[in-house]
Amino acid sequence: MKTKILVANRGEIAIRIIRAIQELNYEAVAIYETPDRDSRHIRIANEAVWIGDGPRCDYLDIDKVITAAVHTGAIAIHPGYGFLAENPAFARACEEAGIIFIGPSSEVIDKLGNKVMARQIMAEAGIPMVPGTKNLTAGDEGLQEAADFGKQYGYPIMLKATSGGGGRGIRRIESESELAEQYPIARSEAKAAFNDDSVYLEKVVVKPKHIEVQIIADKTGKTIHLGTRDCSIQRRNQKLIEIAPAFHLSPELSEEICRTAIQAAQAADYFNAGTVEFLLDSDNSFYFMEINTRLQVEHTVTEMITGIDIVRTQIKLALGKELLFDQESVQLRGHAIEMRINAEDPQNNFMPEGGKTVTVYRSPGGYGVRLDGFCYQGFTIPEAYDSLLVKLTVFGWSWHETVDRLRRCLTNFVITGPKTTIPFYLNLINHPDFADGQFDTSFLEENEQLFEYEENITEVNKLARLIAEIHQKGKNTYAA
Amino acid sequence: MTRITEKMNPATVLDTLRKADGYYITNTARDMSQSDYTNRILLHTDLVAAKAREDAGYFSLEITGGASVHVDILRKQVDPFLKLRLLREQMPNTMFQTLCRGVNLFGYRPYPQNVIRLTVREFAKYVDVWRTFDFMNYIPNMQAVFEEVAKAGKINEPCICFSTGPEHTNEYYVKKVQEILDVTGEEIILCIKNHGGLGTPKRIGELVDAVKQTYPELPIHYHGHNTDGNDIGRITAAVLAGATIVDASDHAFTGFYGPPPILTVIQTLKDHDKVAIGIDEQAVIESSDAIRDERPHYAQFESQIKGFMPTVQIHKLPGGAMGSSLEQASKGGFLDKMPDILHKELPKVQKELGNYWSVTPGSQILWTTAVSNVLGGDRYGNCSGDLKNLLLGKYGPFPFYRPADWIYEKAFGPDWEKILEEQGGVEDIEDMDIEKERKTLTERLGKEPTEQQLVTYLQHPNDAVDFFKFEEKFGQSYVLPPSIFLREGGFQLGESLVFRDNNGKEHIIEIGPSQQADDGETNVYLNVDHHQRAFIIEAEAQAGAAAAVATLSKEEIAKLAKAGDIRAPFGGNVYEISVEAGQKIEIGDQVAVLEAMKMQTPVVSEIAGTVSTISAKVGQALKPGDKIVLIDSGEE
Repeated sequence: MKTKILVANRGEIAIRIIRAIQELNYEAVAIYETPDRDSRHIRIANEAVWIGDGPRCDYLDIDKVITAAVHTGAIAIHPGYGFLAENPAFARACEEAGIIFIGPSSEVIDKLGNKVMARQIMAEAGIPMVPGTKNLTAGDEGLQEAADFGKQYGYPIMLKATSGGGGRGIRRIESESELAEQYPIARSEAKAAFNDDSVYLEKVVVKPKHIEVQIIADKTGKTIHLGTRDCSIQRRNQKLIEIAPAFHLSPELSEEICRTAIQAAQAADYFNAGTVEFLLDSDNSFYFMEINTRLQVEHTVTEMITGIDIVRTQIKLALGKELLFDQESVQLRGHAIEMRINAEDPQNNFMPEGGKTVTVYRSPGGYGVRLDGFCYQGFTIPEAYDSLLVKLTVFGWSWHETVDRLRRCLTNFVITGPKTTIPFYLNLINHPDFADGQFDTSFLEENEQLFEYEENITEVNKLARLIAEIHQKGKNTYAA
Repeated sequence: MTRITEKMNPATVLDTLRKADGYYITNTARDMSQSDYTNRILLHTDLVAAKAREDAGYFSLEITGGASVHVDILRKQVDPFLKLRLLREQMPNTMFQTLCRGVNLFGYRPYPQNVIRLTVREFAKYVDVWRTFDFMNYIPNMQAVFEEVAKAGKINEPCICFSTGPEHTNEYYVKKVQEILDVTGEEIILCIKNHGGLGTPKRIGELVDAVKQTYPELPIHYHGHNTDGNDIGRITAAVLAGATIVDASDHAFTGFYGPPPILTVIQTLKDHDKVAIGIDEQAVIESSDAIRDERPHYAQFESQIKGFMPTVQIHKLPGGAMGSSLEQASKGGFLDKMPDILHKELPKVQKELGNYWSVTPGSQILWTTAVSNVLGGDRYGNCSGDLKNLLLGKYGPFPFYRPADWIYEKAFGPDWEKILEEQGGVEDIEDMDIEKERKTLTERLGKEPTEQQLVTYLQHPNDAVDFFKFEEKFGQSYVLPPSIFLREGGFQLGESLVFRDNNGKEHIIEIGPSQQADDGETNVYLNVDHHQRAFIIEAEAQAGAAAAVATLSKEEIAKLAKAGDIRAPFGGNVYEISVEAGQKIEIGDQVAVLEAMKMQTPVVSEIAGTVSTISAKVGQALKPGDKIVLIDSGEE
C-alpha cells in the first residue's frame, strides 16, 4: 500500500499540497465539509473524507480530522495554512495519535504562538525588537505602565492582544487620553475574542515595510534561508500582494536580515518550514515581529526565485529526511510577484462575493506564469470560507519584466460571475510608484484612486447583453 | 437659384423662397418611417444616409415629430434629442423639420401651456422648421407653438389640413389661411397638409391657385401621401399652380402610404421646365444606394396589405395611420372585417361626426369608433372617452356642423343636453407643476435628470422612465444596425456581429452556445472583442421586456393604471380574466379578478380603450406590480 498523507485543508492550498504528495508518489487524502462538496480539491485527491456539514467548525475539529486520518490509514497530516495549522493542540493530538504532523513540534508552535513568550526568546537571543512591554499588569497599574511607556517612546503606540494575530486584536493609540479610553475596551475585547484578556504595548514604526524571510530547518538543526519577501501591500493588515525578493534592499541589508532570521529560528529550535517576519523602518533598522510556524500563502514567490519546492521539502523533512542542499547552493534569481485574486468587491470595502457562480473562467498562461487556484467555470463560490479564488504568481528576470508579465496576465484573465480584485490590481500595478517598486504598508491608504475603475460595464458589454437577449428570445422585445 | 441652408436666418429663407424660380424639396424621412414602417426606421439607417442626404441639398429633412418622438423611446430605444444632435453633426447645412400637433404636441391629448412652451423651446434648439397643425383646423390650438417658435428664431409652417367633401371649398380654406395670418403675421410658410393624399391633381392645383391668388407672397409647402399612387400628379399640379416646396423621400424605402420617390418628382417636373433648386440628383441616388441593404430588415414592420390603396378617397385614413391600423387589425384578428370598416363604416362615421380632418388624434377617434361600431354591433353603443370629449368640443368646435342628437344621446344618455351645456367647450388646461415633475423623475431615476430627459418625460412619463432604464442597462443601442437590433429568430452559432460604438470604436461580437438551466435561466455565451463572456437571461425576463422592471411601488402601480397598464395592486392568484384582446372597455369596466386570502377582488380599468395585451393567465400567482392587461386608449 502506498504511503498516504491527509491534507487538513481546503481550496487552493489543499490542491497545492495534494500535488506535492502525488509527485512524491504518495496518495493524498482530502477532507471536506458539505459546502465544499463541489470543490476541486476533492476531485484531484486520491481519496476524500466527508467530515461534517460545517461550515468551518468541522475543518477546525481536531478529533474529526485525526479520525479521518486514522480511518484512511494516513501516516502524516499537512495542515496547510489557517484552520488548525498553528494550533499546538492539533500538532500535539497528531503526535499522540502517532501521526506525523508536517510542521514544527507542538512545543515550538506553542511558544512561538504566544507573542510575549516569543519576544522573550528573541530578546534573549539578541534579535532586534520593536520597543515594547511585557504583558501589562491587570487594572489601573497596567494603565500606568502603558502611560509610562508612551512617555518614554512617544506616540503612536500599538496596544496588542497577547493571543491575537493575523491583524486581529490590534489598536493604534495616538495619545495618552486615547490610551485611557481604549485600554479597558481592548482588554474586554481580547477576553471576548481570544478568551485571554492579556495585552501588551509596542512602539509604532511609522510607514514600515513588511519584510519576511522563508526559513527551513531539518531535524539535525541545519537551518537555511530562502531569501526575503516583501508583503507591504496590505489592506487592514491583511496581505494582498507579495514579492520575492524584497525590492530595493542593499545586498548587505538583505544578508543581515536573513542571517538574523536564521538566528531567530535556531533560538526557537525551529524545525521544518517557517517564516520570520520583520518590520523595516525607513532608516533601515529592522525589528522582529513574529515567526509563522506554517506554510505561508505567499510561499510560491520564494519557490519561483529559488527553484525549491517548499511543500515537497516540508514533507520530506517531516518524514525524517535531511536537507539535501546548503545555504551556498540556494541561489536567488530574478523577481516574482504573487497576487491573490479574490472574489471580493474592492470598491465595496472588499466585500466577499461568495454565493455567486463563476460563469466564465479563462486563465492566462505562458512563460513565467504560475496559477494556484481551485475554481472552474460553473463553480459556485461557497459563502462560508475565505474568498481566495486563485493566486497568480509571475516570474521575470528583471523587476520591470515581471510587472509587464503581471499586467499581461491580469488583462487576459477573464472571470465573470463574482466581482474580483483583478481590476483593482490592474490599477495598482499601473501606479508609477508600484512600477518603481516604491511602496510601504501605507500604500493603499495613501492611494484611494486605486479604487476608481469601472467594473466591466463598458458600453460594448451593455450592448452585448442586449444582443444576448435578442438572441435568446428570438426577437428584440424592446422593439416589438 | 440658391440652396437654402441651416445657416440662413428665417427672413432670408422666406425671401429666398419668395424669389425662387423653381421649387424646393423636403425629404420627409419621418413620415416615410411612420406611414410605411410603423415608425421603426432606426437612427442607424438615418445616419447611414446622412452624408448623401446632406449633399442632396434639400430644403429640409423632416426627421422628428408626429408619433416618432414616442416611438423613439418606446420601440427604437433612442433619445429623440440625441438623435437630432448626432444627425446635426453629420448634416450641418440641412434644416431639420418637425411635425407638431399643436396643443397635442407629439402626443394624443392636449398638454398644459407651460409644457407645450418648454417642449418647443427644447426641441427648437435642433429643429428649424415647425410644421404645426390641428386636426380641427382650430387656430387657437396652435397659438402657443407659433409664439415659442417665433421666439426661438425658427420658422413657423402652420398647416391647413385638407380633406374632400362638399364643405371643403377653396373659399373655406382661404378663410382659414387668413385666420392663421391674423395670428402669425406674414413671415411664415403655409403648409397644405394632405395627410390622406386625398383629392385629384386638379383639385390640389385649384386649391394652391386659390391661396396663391389671394396671398401671392405666401410661400406654399405642399405635403401629400402616395396612398392612391397618384401623389406625383398632385405634387406636379401644386408646383405648376405656385407651390414652392414639396414633400417626397428616398426611393430605396418608399412604400405605399408615405411619400413618393424624390427622383420621380424631379424627373416629372423637369419636363414641365420646373427646376428642383439646390438639388444634387447624384446625391439623391446615392442616399438610396447607401441604405438599400437595410430595408429587408424592416420587412416585419411593413404593411400587412400590399399595394396602393385608391380607396383612401373613400375611407380617408391618413398615411401615417395606415400601418398602425392594419397592424391593429392583424393583431386583433379582424383583418377580414377591413373592407366593411374602411369602405362602409368609416365614411359613414366621418359624415356623422362632422366631416372634420382625419388626422391625429381625430383619425384615431374615427378609426376606433368605426372598429367598435363594426365589431361591437351596436353603433355608438360603446363610446370611448376621447369620442365623448370630441362631442363635448374639448378639442375645439366642429368646423362645419355638429353630430346628430342621437349620437349625443347614445354617448351621454337622455341628459345629454344638460351635460353638453355644462361641460361643453374647449377647456383651459391648468399649468403643470414642472418642478414637482422634475422631483418625481429624480426619484424614479435615482439621479437628477437633464432638461431634455425632463422634456421627454413630460411627453410620455412611464415610457420615458422605461427608456432611461433601458439605456442605463443596455447602453446606446442606436449603434446597432437593423440586422442586429431587429433580428428575428436569433443569430447563427458562430455568427460575427461587427459594429461601432458611440465613440466610434469598432467591436466584434461572436455568438457562442447557450445553456439552459432547469430553472429556465439561460446562459448565453458571447465572445465580446475576443473575450468570452456569459450573460444570464432570467426566465422571468423572457415573458416580455417590461417584466424586467423591478418591483413597483403602490404609487407607480396607480400611475401605470391611469395610463392603461394595469398591474396587480397586491399579491394574489388570478381568478378570472374578464376581457379578451381587442375588446373595447370603459372606465370602471372589470378586467380581471384576483383572489387572495379567499377574497375575490375585481380589478377595473381606470381608462377607456381597447384591450391590447393580456399578460396574466388564470391561476397564475402574481406579485404586486405584475402585469395583468394593457389597455390601448386608441393612441398611435
